[in-house]
Amino acid sequence: MIDIQTLRNTPHTIIAIGTYPAIIQAMIDFDFLSGKDKPSIALILAEGRNHERYFWGKEEILIPVVHEVHSIPDSLQKQITFFVNFSSGRRTKDTTLEILDALPGLIGGALFAEKVPEKHSLRMYAHAKKLGKFIVGPASIGLLLPGSVKLGAIGGTDARQLISADVFQRGSVAVLSASGGMTNELINAVTRSNKRISFSLAFGGERFPVTTPTEAFLAAEKDLETKTIIYFGELGGSDEYDLAQLMQSGSITKPILCYIAGSVAEMFDTPPQFGHAKALAQSKDETARGKRDMLEKAGAQVAESFTEFLSMINALPVDQFEEKSYAHALQLFASRHEALITSSISGDANGVTGLLHEDLLSFVQKRSFAGIVCSLFLGRNEVSPELEEFVDFVLRLLVDHGPNVSGAMNTIVTARAGRDIVSSLVSGLLTIGPRFGGAINQAAENLLLGVTTGQDAADFVESFASTRQYIAGIGHKKYRSDLPDPRVKALKAFGEKLEQKRFLQYALAIEKITTQKKGNLILNVDGAIAAILLDILSEKEHYSDQELQTLVESEFFNAFFILSRSVGFLAHFLDQKRIDEGIFRLPDDLILHI
Amino acid sequence: MARKKITEFRAKSLLIPNYQGIRITPDSDISKEVAKLQDTQTYVVKIDHGVKKRMKQGLILLDIKRDAVPDAIETLKAKGYTNFLIEPFLRYNPTEERYLSLQRVRDGIMILYAPQGGIEIEDRPESLIAETIHAPQELAAFAEKTGLTPSLLQTIYEEFEENYYAFFEINPLVLHDGKFLPLDIACEVDDAAELLVHHRWSADDFPIMTAKTEEEENIDILKTKSAASFSFVPLNLNGSIFMLLSGGGVSIVLADEVYNLGYGKELANYGEYSGNPNAEETYLYTKNVLQLLLKSTATKKVLLIGGGVANFTDIAKTFTGVIHALSEVADQMQQQHVTVFVRRGGPNQAEGLAKMHNFLQENNLLGAVCGPDTPLPDIVAQMVKTI
Repeated sequence: MIDIQTLRNTPHTIIAIGTYPAIIQAMIDFDFLSGKDKPSIALILAEGRNHERYFWGKEEILIPVVHEVHSIPDSLQKQITFFVNFSSGRRTKDTTLEILDALPGLIGGALFAEKVPEKHSLRMYAHAKKLGKFIVGPASIGLLLPGSVKLGAIGGTDARQLISADVFQRGSVAVLSASGGMTNELINAVTRSNKRISFSLAFGGERFPVTTPTEAFLAAEKDLETKTIIYFGELGGSDEYDLAQLMQSGSITKPILCYIAGSVAEMFDTPPQFGHAKALAQSKDETARGKRDMLEKAGAQVAESFTEFLSMINALPVDQFEEKSYAHALQLFASRHEALITSSISGDANGVTGLLHEDLLSFVQKRSFAGIVCSLFLGRNEVSPELEEFVDFVLRLLVDHGPNVSGAMNTIVTARAGRDIVSSLVSGLLTIGPRFGGAINQAAENLLLGVTTGQDAADFVESFASTRQYIAGIGHKKYRSDLPDPRVKALKAFGEKLEQKRFLQYALAIEKITTQKKGNLILNVDGAIAAILLDILSEKEHYSDQELQTLVESEFFNAFFILSRSVGFLAHFLDQKRIDEGIFRLPDDLILHI
Repeated sequence: MARKKITEFRAKSLLIPNYQGIRITPDSDISKEVAKLQDTQTYVVKIDHGVKKRMKQGLILLDIKRDAVPDAIETLKAKGYTNFLIEPFLRYNPTEERYLSLQRVRDGIMILYAPQGGIEIEDRPESLIAETIHAPQELAAFAEKTGLTPSLLQTIYEEFEENYYAFFEINPLVLHDGKFLPLDIACEVDDAAELLVHHRWSADDFPIMTAKTEEEENIDILKTKSAASFSFVPLNLNGSIFMLLSGGGVSIVLADEVYNLGYGKELANYGEYSGNPNAEETYLYTKNVLQLLLKSTATKKVLLIGGGVANFTDIAKTFTGVIHALSEVADQMQQQHVTVFVRRGGPNQAEGLAKMHNFLQENNLLGAVCGPDTPLPDIVAQMVKTI
């Protein structure tokens, strides 16, 4: 059951399911114009990019987007109090039930979609009742509490509309209707006649709205700020019958002003479908006339025409409210423009270059090169000494591996063909991939998957063996379990400074199994770097597994090899220029013709 | 979004294994279909348009010999119908008629049963046994109470749930030789579930109500292709007042106002577009309404472009579509002295209304253009004065 007082007083933290940028922007504008210090909408659960851009006043802001319910950050899971669901009619039920079960702090939400099957609406009705949460809709423009929360398109999607209807100041009139358009029309009629709304709820034009008209009326009755209820109804259905009963039984005592549309249907023996899904009178009680008579008998003030309805609204006592000017806010809104790119790591404004919000010179003077690399790669001003030291070692370790390897070969061939420094470097870099230098990220991905799913190391190895795949980070041409790789030993030494070492332990457990199969299937340099980087990020930088996954998806773990080996490629280029051997051509006897 | 009837042919095909009924559509080769019938028995020929009270209206013809079937079809065609169903005729005693219906209600499925079915059922509401079923386990008790076969009830209930029915009625359900036989079925589905029923039924099964104009058919096509919503109901296509309305609720208010002022008979159409259609969709909708307006034989014609204060429908964008359609027939509208009255609000209203005003003025079609400050009834009052 919906309780308006609670809704006003509770913190308003909203998640959008699916996205509808115009409506979300209007919800943010509503918060801004209401004088809040930040937008209520905290998160969007949708496909697409990691964030969506909106405006807070004049400034652009990013609202984070997650793709799955289980990716909602722990910190938000309990904080979110409302949802607004923009999913399609077909997906509305499943997404709603999922969010209701996932977020314990939810009070309720609104459903925007039309074409939600009746069966789905009833399923949501039963579930919301069981959990004691409210759902407005489906096919609803939502719920509006002036100055507190705007859940959906209600009141408009254009800041000028919100301002002209002044939905920021609370008054005494509740506006209720199934119809979205009429709800907004009546909110404006209330404002034009020098009153303000206490709240407004559009239950939606479907046959089985989850919040029933009866519940909405009872909520208005219970709300201490509501003095009068304005209702717009249509022919068809039995909602008004329930309302009349509530009035007659004394459950609703506040004055109700209403208009029931559909007298035009009186012209027809078999009237066509007017208005919303349920607006088809199937018996005499369901005609506009029948409903008007019933409500009048129960004590409502019933208008015979819309003109009369407007005069009744005009005649209500005026509310106390401030005359506010929103000219400044509108000016801010008018000067909005979208940025072409977004950057979080550096800036160059008014002649001052900054890195991670610090002056360039001061930033670089305090840090080693490895420290700068770590900070910029992660977008964090401060990083742990453990990470800095390890990355320093990795950058030194990976710098060159002789002229034989693919990348160096390509750089050398390009240099000898007379190309310039950039072309030669790039031809080497373009060689980096799954078989050369690019295995660290793949190894990190594997380890992360294994550790987070809690898969047994033996099963992990088996899953690769059964599909005849190599395990990135495992195996070496020369080194074997009885002839260990000294570089891996040096890398592992960094692990000793850590406590849990989840990833290194897992990597070693894998190695234990693979070396039983074949002596050279040892943990190699790529695997060791991946494991220790993951451990340091997790233990010293406090990255969550989800955040580590995001790093994997951005190929973060390959960045160190690319950076370090660029030094080697440049060195090979310069070396070739010094030696000056002329163009390289493969001798015939080094080609196998088949 | 709405409950829609499906043809009796489809409802029976879904319920009855190896259903033997033959459907006749405008595309059917009647002689070929009749050749499938036998001359050793007789048949029922009935219309299949989702029409109620067929028997009372003489739209079900009984005990028809094979060779008389084409004539029976012609008889029904003459009454304006196009789709028919041919079924074997069963001779039974009227006391064998029962009534059964299921309907989705808020707390479950309401089942109604009456031991005396037939066409007089509505006159005997006291004979109905009603119960709301919340779970299939409750069916057995209902079967016991009514004497219905538990398996039949179970099958109908499962069909009802799986096929997203909203209403399902068998009247009469005939208990003949110890077996329950569903003679006439009326069925309504929830059309929002079309994509969830795996083609067991589809929009193709919605009965054709009356012959439609080309324009109405165009709007039907638009409806199926757009995420926004469009409806169009012809009332008196030779009337004076054509309406291009937005919003389910506001559109009835405007139609009511016309009716209240005594111009109901002049209403050519009812309908609405909403849900933020794009300019192209609005153009197509408007174009078809305008075609009908130009065809109307009324001497004085007006167009009302009306709506409330939209929540999320972009006025500038939708009016771009409307103006595009108007501009194509502006000359003809001028010749017919059509005037246009506009009242609308919503996102980007200032831009949309200004464009509309300029266009109508330049093309000599201007009645009035108003924003949300003008109350809804005022524009109707201004408009009817000019008729």
